[in-house]
Amino acid sequence: MRRTRNQLTIAAVAFILGLMVVVQLRVQASGSGLGSMSSQDLTVFVANLNTGLAQRRQEIASLERDLRDLQSDRDRGVVSLDQARAELARIRAYAGLDPVTGPGVTVSIDGAIDGPGVENVINELRNAGAEAIAVEGVRVVVGTIVTGGPGGLSVDGAALAVPFEVSAIGASETLTGSLTRIGGIVAQIGATYPGVTLTVTPVERLELPATSRALVPSHGRPRL
Amino acid sequence: MGNRVVDSMVGRVRGIPSWQVTLGLALLGLGFLIAAQLASERPRIRYTTQERAPLIEIAVDLQEQQATLSARVLELREAIQGLEQAGQGTSVEIGQLNRQLEEARLAAGLIPLRGTGLVFQLEDSVQEPGDDEALSDYLVSARDLRTMVEELWLAGAEAIAINGERVTPTTAIIDIGGVILANSAYLAPPYQVTAIGPDDLYDRLTASAGFADFVRARQDDYGIRIGYAEPEEVDVPAFAGTVTLRYARPLPADTARAGPSPEP
Repeated sequence: MRRTRNQLTIAAVAFILGLMVVVQLRVQASGSGLGSMSSQDLTVFVANLNTGLAQRRQEIASLERDLRDLQSDRDRGVVSLDQARAELARIRAYAGLDPVTGPGVTVSIDGAIDGPGVENVINELRNAGAEAIAVEGVRVVVGTIVTGGPGGLSVDGAALAVPFEVSAIGASETLTGSLTRIGGIVAQIGATYPGVTLTVTPVERLELPATSRALVPSHGRPRL
Repeated sequence: MGNRVVDSMVGRVRGIPSWQVTLGLALLGLGFLIAAQLASERPRIRYTTQERAPLIEIAVDLQEQQATLSARVLELREAIQGLEQAGQGTSVEIGQLNRQLEEARLAAGLIPLRGTGLVFQLEDSVQEPGDDEALSDYLVSARDLRTMVEELWLAGAEAIAINGERVTPTTAIIDIGGVILANSAYLAPPYQVTAIGPDDLYDRLTASAGFADFVRARQDDYGIRIGYAEPEEVDVPAFAGTVTLRYARPLPADTARAGPSPEP
């Protein structure tokens, strides 16, 4: 009788021990951050990963099509310039080397905002899926930073006086909703910068210029 | 006297049944595990694990899928480039088109680069927050990484990556409940920001008032650990995300300007 109870106790402890080991290993394996996220944050995190996956799948499908076309061209001994031209246009538009047009939003900013504040708005636009962005006629590409304090803003070396507009091409409803939601960037900026106003307007068709920056690296070289 | 105490203790130890020793050891192990569990979650708020376990599993699984798909994107781009270059030499026009493609890919971050530059590492503070302070101020935030990236661009960097995620025109760096994402990929700490740029990138960076403010505000005030290395050469990987635009269409040059266009 006594012996059975002892065995049961040991079995129970061993069971809990095993469970703890597994949980611990899983948490460690999942990276330090995930184990500490709330369910709500995890849901947003999973949604973000899903968006990234959908985009990559789309890109893979398009690249596989290109590759098949190129292979069949090669097998037939021809070279198709059209495909290369389409590819070139696609990449140049993405990088900001060509002007682009499309639907989107304009964010009109007024008040004593600083460079990091504007960069915050740009980051939120990107997060909401903006495909191309310009600040008062200057296309935002890699290396384009809005800098300076209130009253002394500049972008790519050009002075930026308030009020000014940030234009972004993308799904206007998604962009508007994401910026103006409760606790979104419009609310955050309003709380951090007293007196600063952000007005988000959906626009049917925007035209954004090409960048004037030279984007081909001179210090880095392609790595094979 | 002392000997008698020891003798009686030895006697008692011998008297303990073996199952009690087993149980004791098991409980000791359990204690260690509970402590490890708590310690591993120490810096951030703790939640009950029940409903989160399946979500964590999904997230880990999606992260793995993302890595696989990214590798596939890079592989396909390389194969396409290879075929394009193989077609070169057949005509001047093709040669020219290929050069333009190479330049556009370099500009878009689709080609891995190597060159002179810097690697910065940012780590959470090990200091304890005061009673009326927020714990989150002592952790590296997306804001910190964005500041680091912005300051590096201003100092003349020409290519930047964070933990292997290339910074492109569409890269958002965001916080979700204490973890940081870039290009919708999870960044595991410590955070490494790698930048290719001119030889004097470090001098230019440290001469910036913005960078000095950042170091003062985050390292000096909260103990965020900011370290850097200046290897002879640094590597910045290619962007593995999509460059396909769904809403933006290329316009012929010269016609574009910012702002809404007049109604047709």
